[in-house]
Amino acid sequence: MQEIKRKYVIPGDKIVEGNFRPLMNVIKTDNSIIATRIGIAETGRDGVKVIPLSGVYIPRVNDIVIGKIIDHSSLSWEVDVNSCFSAHLPAQDVFGRDFSPARDDMGRQLAIGDLIAARIIAFDRTRDPMLTIQDKDLGKIPRGELLKISATRVPRLIGKRGSMIQTIEQATQTRVLIGQNGIVVVMGRNPEGIKLAMRAIRMVEEEAHTANLTQRVKVLLNVPDSPQAEGTSVTQAQNGQKGEEIQSAIEDVEEELEEGEQT
Amino acid sequence: MINQTRNLIDENGRRTDGRTADELREVKITVGVVKNADGSAFIEFGKNKIIVAVYGPREVHPKHMALPDRCVLRCRYHMSPFSTDTRKNPAPSRREVEISKVMREALEPALILEDYPRAAIDVFVEVLQADGGSRCAGIAAASIALADAGINMRDIVSACAAGKVDNKIVLDINDIEDKEGGADMPVAYMPHLEQVTLLQLDGILTSEQFNECVDKALSGCNMVYEIQKQALMQKYFGNETELKEEQ
Amino acid sequence: MSSSKRSTIIVEHLRKQQMWDAISKGKRLDGRNLNDIRPLEIEIDIINKANGSARVKLGNSEVVAGVKVETGEPFEGLENKGALILSAEVLPTASPYSEPGPPDEETVELARVVDRGVRESEMIDLDKLVLVPGKTVYTIFVDCSVINADGNLFDATSYAVVSALVSTKLPVFEMQDDKVVDTGNEQDPPINTIPISITAVRIGDVVILDPSAEEEACMDARITVTTNSNGDYTATQKGSTGSFTIEQIKRAAEIAKVKGEEIRIKLKELLKTGQ
Repeated sequence: MQEIKRKYVIPGDKIVEGNFRPLMNVIKTDNSIIATRIGIAETGRDGVKVIPLSGVYIPRVNDIVIGKIIDHSSLSWEVDVNSCFSAHLPAQDVFGRDFSPARDDMGRQLAIGDLIAARIIAFDRTRDPMLTIQDKDLGKIPRGELLKISATRVPRLIGKRGSMIQTIEQATQTRVLIGQNGIVVVMGRNPEGIKLAMRAIRMVEEEAHTANLTQRVKVLLNVPDSPQAEGTSVTQAQNGQKGEEIQSAIEDVEEELEEGEQT
Repeated sequence: MINQTRNLIDENGRRTDGRTADELREVKITVGVVKNADGSAFIEFGKNKIIVAVYGPREVHPKHMALPDRCVLRCRYHMSPFSTDTRKNPAPSRREVEISKVMREALEPALILEDYPRAAIDVFVEVLQADGGSRCAGIAAASIALADAGINMRDIVSACAAGKVDNKIVLDINDIEDKEGGADMPVAYMPHLEQVTLLQLDGILTSEQFNECVDKALSGCNMVYEIQKQALMQKYFGNETELKEEQ
Repeated sequence: MSSSKRSTIIVEHLRKQQMWDAISKGKRLDGRNLNDIRPLEIEIDIINKANGSARVKLGNSEVVAGVKVETGEPFEGLENKGALILSAEVLPTASPYSEPGPPDEETVELARVVDRGVRESEMIDLDKLVLVPGKTVYTIFVDCSVINADGNLFDATSYAVVSALVSTKLPVFEMQDDKVVDTGNEQDPPINTIPISITAVRIGDVVILDPSAEEEACMDARITVTTNSNGDYTATQKGSTGSFTIEQIKRAAEIAKVKGEEIRIKLKELLKTGQ
């Protein structure tokens, strides 16, 4: 296992001295790496990064997000993705290439106030994010309970390979859609299960930076504390790929403990 | 401010509020007090009570004000009508306009604005009660609010004033000392980068006094920084100062 | 000139649906019953430089009110009364939608409705605040800063104003050789009555009290009713672009009286005053 050193940092804190590679939320000065955010600094063989604990969602290409339709022009819908920029969903994405504003009624397909699960297909420094709803499991979300969490806690809520969210889903008989932008929709038949799932999600959000969180969540859900089964299927909306890349630091430590490995 | 009418320091070296020359007033900072804001802080700096809310990065309105390669930083320093000895008209005064500007220029060097092109970061500083040194207190709280909002920053900005009272250089002057004393020098400072981002002077100082005053203010900034750091660590990491490494 | 606006807050259909479903069963999304007021917190004397001050939290709506007492000329036509001047500002800190600048029509309405509730009820006996009739009177400035907006700013601001006024330490001014002198003494303000405002909104056919920002974004119409300690009505304001039936108005007024008294008792308890 890689040697990874971790510590709590605030902006301006020196994380480490030496010729390390700056990865994320850090800057390199003459001979040190400085944190630029509040969070957990990780120094490993491949570089130094800070996992942030606060901040609004900044769109990334390929992220799955949950957005709200707030307007439409004749060519696209404007979508609030809980970020600093509004996103656009081109009408062609829904109606196809031969879309005609005269014939195709945009308001009928997606009305103001509708919630959609979408993927960001384009975003850069010069333009607003562009969305698609054409993949599997994307599109209008017809029902469910909505809640908003800080986007920085999403990786923790998903867990390593989806483990945290699956624990919650299985224990409460719900299906949870998580947008990387911090919007979460909980679906299920049992109102009690939905309430419990929401409590668990809030707990993860509040305690994302602490150790032994998985255990406490399991206690809340009344789930026996057994070794984590490896997550197999991950719902499209959770974008497990991104979840793995930006892993929660503490989840690593817990898994290592359980697997009895030494760091 | 030129001729003092009374002694502001007594024969025991005690100032009007009982402090010695090098003592900072009591400073308390609470993080995350405005629910709707992206980041916020409430600071009590002596009798100053100031709330700061940060919204951003967010969309710029009107759109033509957006910059293509970096963020627009907007800063508003405003005093509530009940914050001063005599009631203040709610409309912005020239003093508030100037302080808004120097505050923005004090905070900008610390922010990595290139990370947020075409967006805006808004910093709203509201003085609920003023008692000398409110702009420094505001900057200190604004730094915390910006960090709370998750804005990329090169360093925290801390701030503190020093001044001349009874011909002596003292740290962190209060309202009476500001009104009746010989000089007031607010300073803002990035402690790790060791860079001054705000410096103003109101009064008369010899060149020796000037240097002493700057040094005194910077020592105050370092004291304020410790309190800022504590406040952020407390909010985010609770009582854990060290990450528990489990082996 | 006042014009129709695009709604600032667009509530998701899913949330609206949940809200309608819950309300039809007598509950709201935050678990409250239809007539429940959110938790009310009041702190007084928070601004030492002011003669009176209060910080009110009604749910997440937070308002600070400060009272500054000076002397000045009486209002024209009111030569034998002290002057009471109330203003309010929704700070740009309050929500992503508040912008700095001169008060917009919503803020002006807020200040005027709160003012009416206090003034028409004659909460402060302004007759007792005259130094030289027609020339010099006490001038009481009440200024409100809304720090965080989460619905029902009318009631939150009103409670802050009332709390600040009730707990004000009024200076004792005197005339000496035609000049106003502050004797340095303090007195309790002459309080006649305690006006309490209660705001309700209609969503579909159901009327609920103390709306959150989300509920206000889904409302059809709103009504604010202010009562005094006798249970008389002293100010009313209907707001928003929808309408009420006469029965709904009368019922809202009745509830405002009952709930108003509950809040009045709670406020007195929190302020520990015998008035």
